[in-house]
Order: sequence, then structure tokens, then C-alpha cells
Amino acid sequence: MNLPRLAWGRLFALAAWLVCLGLPLCAEAAPYVPGNDDTVLAELSTGTRFADVSARRLARGRVDVAIPLAQFYIQQSRLSGDLRFLGYAEAVLAPWVRQARPKPEVLLLQATLQQSRHDFAASLATLDRALAMRPKDPQALLIRATVLRVLGRYSEAGAACQDFSALVEPRLGALCMEGLRGLNGNLRSAYAALTRISPQGWLNSEKSWLYSELGEMAVRLGQEQDARRWFETDLALVPTDFYVRAAYADLLLRQGRPADVLALLRGQESFEPLLLRIAIAQRLLHDPGLEQSSARLRTAFDAELQRGESVHRREQARFLLEVEGNPTRSLEAALQNWAVQREPDDVLVLMHAASAAGLPAAAAPAADFVRAQGQSDVRVDAPAAAKSRS
Amino acid sequence: MLRPFAMLLMLLAGSSARAHIASNGFLTLNIEGAQISGSIELAIRDGELAVGLDRDGDGRVTWRELQAGQDSLQKYVQGHLRLSGDSGPCRMQFNPLEVNERLDGNYLWLPLRADCATALTRLSIEYTLLDAEDPSHRGLLTLTSNGAAQTAVLGGAGDARRFELHQISFWPAFIEYLRAGIWHIWSGIDHLLFLLSLLLPAVLLRRRNRWEAVPLAAPAFFNIVKVVTAFTLAHSITLSLAAFDVIRLPSRLTESVIAASIIVAALNNVFPRVTEGRWRIAFAFGLLHGFGFASVLAEMGLPQGARLAALVAFNLGVETGQLAVVLAVMPLAYLLRATTFYRRGVMPWASTGIACLALFWLVQRALP
Repeated sequence: MNLPRLAWGRLFALAAWLVCLGLPLCAEAAPYVPGNDDTVLAELSTGTRFADVSARRLARGRVDVAIPLAQFYIQQSRLSGDLRFLGYAEAVLAPWVRQARPKPEVLLLQATLQQSRHDFAASLATLDRALAMRPKDPQALLIRATVLRVLGRYSEAGAACQDFSALVEPRLGALCMEGLRGLNGNLRSAYAALTRISPQGWLNSEKSWLYSELGEMAVRLGQEQDARRWFETDLALVPTDFYVRAAYADLLLRQGRPADVLALLRGQESFEPLLLRIAIAQRLLHDPGLEQSSARLRTAFDAELQRGESVHRREQARFLLEVEGNPTRSLEAALQNWAVQREPDDVLVLMHAASAAGLPAAAAPAADFVRAQGQSDVRVDAPAAAKSRS
Repeated sequence: MLRPFAMLLMLLAGSSARAHIASNGFLTLNIEGAQISGSIELAIRDGELAVGLDRDGDGRVTWRELQAGQDSLQKYVQGHLRLSGDSGPCRMQFNPLEVNERLDGNYLWLPLRADCATALTRLSIEYTLLDAEDPSHRGLLTLTSNGAAQTAVLGGAGDARRFELHQISFWPAFIEYLRAGIWHIWSGIDHLLFLLSLLLPAVLLRRRNRWEAVPLAAPAFFNIVKVVTAFTLAHSITLSLAAFDVIRLPSRLTESVIAASIIVAALNNVFPRVTEGRWRIAFAFGLLHGFGFASVLAEMGLPQGARLAALVAFNLGVETGQLAVVLAVMPLAYLLRATTFYRRGVMPWASTGIACLALFWLVQRALP
């Protein structure tokens, strides 16, 4: 008969050893007291200091301070990708929006904020108020055209572009109109028309508008070389144009060049839409940085969900599909996104999610929309190899 | 010519998406009788905006500056976070602040306590932190009372929000925890597999490197009783210690070690080392399984005023669930003990299967 060989001591030693083995794996985050007084806990960027609060106090009593300050914050938000600035702008505008007859400039900024939060209905209502006061405001008309275009309401957007065209130089009016024509069945001729526009004498922001429109049209036409050229021209002119940077990254992903994506987006991790592209590239490259990128994106999406907001469903749908590999939940997010906005990228994300989830019929709303508008997009017709791999 | 395009770029950008995390505060409140304890967590940059932490104006907030701003932060929170109970406002006090690192930056973590005049059955929270600076700031609330947690989003031009607190009475709570104990032992199959691995050989004897059936029922019965009792005793000890916060181990660690304990117990059937004193294995590893039960209990929380009763109920539930399985399986094992099927089939192969499953769990739980 075998006598027990393992005595008490050995058993506890074994248990203790297993505990020690496990401990380093389980370092859980918890509040702590920094060991050094000089530890830097936060870096404050322009516009986020307490000192700026005095400017804000001033803005409460003077609309001529409030308007440029709000513009500054919105600009900062665009440059840094930091949503908090939109809140600061909102705070500065709040007393002036609440007035019985707000200034049209105030309403325009308010509409811009609402639009950035994807509250498109509110944005349109605010624009209506502004336009009722000043029907010939090209800026209000342009914002209106942009919002309606995002919503896929192209004929109304066209009317806004028409009114806009009557007030600005012909080239800008054409840019507004051709951008729309590129979405409702006239992509090739709209692209040709835009390539003929010479942006000589334009502001950088106006040139950038032209180049991003051209780049996106070239993508939808499948002219990838041209698209790259437009995107690069734009980024050389306005390096902070993260919208175009994201579109360029998508192009590189489609071409199966994830390493180039990481090079293009290095140092831009604080913009979650760009971080999404980084994570997709990292996944394709089996890059160890993926875990941190995914964790950050997950946190951002979760926080938004917890707050009951749904601003970034498109990104979330792509994240769920192309990073997490969860087509079912991706489809859910893509459908919720489709209920809010209808840009070509929204069509694409819904179609990809639906086919990955094995429910291509779920993309019927997008397919019907594309058919009704006569919208053409080679990405929808021919899914890239990179996509099917993920 | 008009130049209406100052805002054009930000418009185009806005139509895509910008997923930077908006400003959130994290308010955690736990209610015990007339007392509220918890913490408020704000991004340090939000703290700067509210009270001005960067004293030397170098654009950085250091730990020294954060500590120096402690008083004004406390005053600020006091003025912008009002907690009221059944009989009016509660008096708020703070403990020294700490730092918490989150994915979007460092947060200041301010522990707080509020004393209300009478025991709380409802709580009203007025949250106006950062209201003037950033109207899109929201407070994400986790409110726990009597073992029930509720969450809510606070702030944003809201008036005071009222919360009805979860009330418990003794017997429903007792039954709830009893049921949770039974449910946990049945759904968390790992504890059962560990116990079964130790019990499978209880109806056998190890002689000349072979398994033989025990001739009489009595030794088999006592083998079973010893293992079950040792396991019960051990996990009760650690479950109680953990439930009352005497010892706490991270759950990934305990879960991994529980998986490892199953491997040890199961392999001991395939390559027998301990053939007589299996109750010692049951005791030693039972201590760790207790921490596993405790993490379930921690998720439920112990109801105030009935902590001990809930703990006893949960433990009773665990024992009941465990006993039911033993009673279902062991008579069968006793009847089959003499068959080749049991000695040469069930013993080695079921044990190997259990060990493999546990190995899979170990890898799954130990790896992040």
C-alpha cells in the first residue's frame, strides 16, 4: 500500500507556489498615491487651463468675445480630436443661445456643435432659425447642404447648394453641386468636372475641400493612384486634416498595406477614428500594440454607450467586425448607424457587417438606397482582399 | 468675395466621427444605514478647469500641485454634489485624495463619506460638477445599497435625481443567498469536478499499483465524508475571511489556481501519489476554492444588517448543492466499483478528461 507521500508542508508549498505564479498576472489597477511630489499627472494643452476661465467669464457678458472663443474651441477640437472642447464651446455659447433672438452667428456655431454630436435634426432646426433671420447666409446654407448630404437627402441638399451657389464665386458653387452629383448617379462626370476646377487663389480650407472631394470620388471610381495623389496633396497642404488621413488609411488597408497605415498614422493615436485604422492594421500585422489600441477604443465606445450617446456607431461597427471579429454585434451597430447617417462609408460598413454575419439581406436598406440613388462605388461592388481576410 | 469657410473643415471632419472620450466623472456610492461612503473621480484636467490646479502655470499638474489643490477641490465638490436623504441634506466629508490611472489619462480619486440624519430609504443626488465649464460633462453613478447596485448618468442641466433604495427583509434575502450558493456550485462546474476527482477513488483501494474495490460500504462512506468535510471546512474558512474583507485575492489568481487544483486532483487518480490522505488535498485546495466562492459573493455584495446571515445562507447553499451531487453520484460509483469499467475506464479516463478540461481553463484564466 502506498503511503501518502505528499505531506502537509508540500501541499501548502505547492499551493503557495501556484499563488506566486499567478500574482504578477493579476496586477489590477486601483487608486494609488504617487511616490514623488514632482510626478507629472497631467499635461494641459492650450485652452484647457483654469486661466482661460477668465476669458469665459468675459464671454458670458459679451457676445463679441463668446463667438471667437467658441470658434477657437471648435477649432481646437478639430486639431486635437478632443471632444471636451466641444463642451467648452457649448458652455461659452449657452447664455447666448438661450436669448429670445440669438444672433445668427451664435446659431451657426450651435448648429455646428449639434452636427458634430450627430444630432442632425437639431442642427437642421437651428439652421432654419438662422436662415429665417438671414436667408442669404452662405455659411448656413453650406452647413445645411452638408448635413442633408450626410443624411442622404440629396434633393434637399441640392436646393441648399443651389442657394449657396447664387451667393459665392462659381467655382465654390460648382464644388458643392458636383459633390452631390457624385453621389447620385453622376460620379464619373462629376469627377471630371471637379478635376477641371483650378483652385488658384483659394484659401487652404477651400482647396482642402476640393482635394478631399476628388480623393473620395477617385476611391469610389477605383482610381486608386489618383486617389492617393489627391489625398497626399491635401495632407501636404493641411496636415491636420484627419478626415482625409482616415480616408487615405482606408485606401491603404484596401490595398493590403497595413504597415504603411501605421507609418501614416504614427503619433495620431489620440484621434479614435485614426486609432481604429491603427488597430485594424495592427491586427493584420499581429502587432503587439493591438491590445492597447483595442482597449482604448473599447473604453471610448463603452463610455459613449454608458452616456446613452451613439455618435460613433460607424467606427464601432468597424471595430467589432475588423478588430474584434464579432459580425453579429457589428451588424447591430451598423444598422443603428444606418438609421442615423447615409454616407458611402455607412453603406460599406453595413454591407460588410451583413455579409460577414451571414445575413446579406440585412443590408437591404443600404442596397435599396444605393440603387435608388444610382450611387456607384467599386468598394461595394468588389470587396477588397484585406476585408475578407479579417 | 465672401469667405464663409472658416468652419468648413471642421464640418467635414464632424460628419465623419471623432470618438474622443467626452468628459466623465465617476461617482461611486455605497449606502449603509444613515451613512454613505464612496468616491468621486474626476479627470485631473477637469479638476484644473474647475479650480485651477496648475499653480506655477507651466502647463503641467504635478502630484504636489494636486495635493495643494486638495482643499479647493473638496470645497468645489461640496458645492456641486449634494446628497440628501429622507430627512434632508447629508453632511459630506473627505479623505485624502489619490490618483487613478484610466485609459484616457489620470484621474483624481477623492474618497468621501456623508452622514445623513436618519437611515436612508431614498437618496437624492444633485450633480452639477463641471456644469459651467463643460455642459457635456456627465457623472456616471454606481449606487449600491443592500447588495443591489444601480447605475445612472448624472448631470447635464438636470435637477436633482432621486433614487429609491433597495430594501431587504431577512427571509427573502436568506433564500436569495441560499439559492445563489446552490446555483453557483452547479453552474460553476469547476468546484464539482475538483470534488469528484477526489471522490472517484473513494470507493476503491490502491493495492500493488492497482485499483481494487473496497469490500465494505463503511470505509467508502468514511472516505467520502472525510473529503467532503475537509473541503467544506476549508472553503468556509476562506469564504468567511474574504467576505469580511480580512483577506482578498485577485480573482484571476484564484480562478487560475482553482483550475490548477483540479489538474492536481485529477492527475492524482491517473498517477496516484496520495492514496490515503486525499482529504488533505481537499482541505489545502479547498482554502483556495473558498476565495472563488467569495468572488461570487463579492459580486452580489452582502446586504447591510444581514451580512452574517447572508454569508451563512450562501455557504449553506454551496453545501446543499455539493451534497446533492455527491448523493447522486457516489451510490452509483459504489455499485460500479468492482467493475473493470469503473476501475480501468472511469478512473483513468474520466480523470484524464477532467485534467485536460482544467488545463484548458488554467490557460484561459491565467493568460490575460
